[in-house]
Amino acid sequence: MEGQLSSLVITKEDMDTIDELFSQYLVDSQAKDIILLNKSGELLAKSGTVTRESAVAVSALAAGVFSATNELAKLLGEHEFTLTFHQGKETNIHISLVDPLILLAVIFDNKAPIGAIRFWAKKISASIRPVLQKMAAVPHQEPSEEFRKGLQDEIDNLF
Amino acid sequence: MSLIDFSKSEITFKIVYYGPAMSGKTTNLGWIYRMIPDKVKGQFTSIATETERTLFFDFLPVELGSVKGFKIRLSLYTVPGQELYKLTRKSVLKSVDGIVFVADSSGARRDDNINNLADMTRNLEEYELPDTPVVYQLNKRDLPDVMPVDQLMDELDLGGKPVFLGIASSGVSVMDCLKGITREVVSKI
Repeated sequence: MEGQLSSLVITKEDMDTIDELFSQYLVDSQAKDIILLNKSGELLAKSGTVTRESAVAVSALAAGVFSATNELAKLLGEHEFTLTFHQGKETNIHISLVDPLILLAVIFDNKAPIGAIRFWAKKISASIRPVLQKMAAVPHQEPSEEFRKGLQDEIDNLF
Repeated sequence: MSLIDFSKSEITFKIVYYGPAMSGKTTNLGWIYRMIPDKVKGQFTSIATETERTLFFDFLPVELGSVKGFKIRLSLYTVPGQELYKLTRKSVLKSVDGIVFVADSSGARRDDNINNLADMTRNLEEYELPDTPVVYQLNKRDLPDVMPVDQLMDELDLGGKPVFLGIASSGVSVMDCLKGITREVVSKI
């Protein structure tokens, strides 16, 4: 059985903290892009030159790759593989588990040695983890009945 | 797992189109892609084999507009229907918020519909998501050998559930299904 959260809530304060950390690491690590996503493939945060549209697609695919890799792990008797790495001619992508539900994708150009990529991915994960723990610790507040009803009433206008 | 981002005032839901092979899941997404204006849709990502059968999944992000000051975004996925890709189907279903089950109305596909629906139910139970909202599209109603609606509903035990009769290739009920499942997932937030 695999437990799951019903929803993930990100406050503006959490997002500002993540953005600040990512901007700093982008300079320090010389990564091209840093993308934070959840295991269901949703983009949580991004930093770098990647457009939002591309980051959304990268998140869906990275989570898919990670999920498929974990089915592979189970077939091999492992509980989980905690990272995957793809190397190209110009670009490399390192996808790793930050906490049970969150993944970090770091994109580097081909100048970065693999040791450096792993080092920075670990360092960024360690910095971001307390923010994620804080987010998970906030009790989930149910939206008011009025808000929910308002959403329902307005759905028709969206189509 | 719906994602509520207060920093951007956005709510994102994950909706998966499930169903047996060749029942029209990718056709549904293709129609939605054509119907939705460019500025509110993202890249349509499809991982297909050389014969254009879905290998991993199709993915289409859509922005519906704002309600109550929140932008509603949908991440639409399909699963590969072929029996071979059982584990891939399960992995795409992870953290799903709502499902459109696309059944093939052809009499010849009766067992495929039943088996695929059972496979979906089993996967949802394993993920501890048995109450995930599902709407059902009985697709390909234009085929010459369609099963009568009552019989198909009976075989799939769909009494009292939201059911749409569809011809996805010409868009019949495609947007109604999307609207139906959006209403269901929003009510669960």
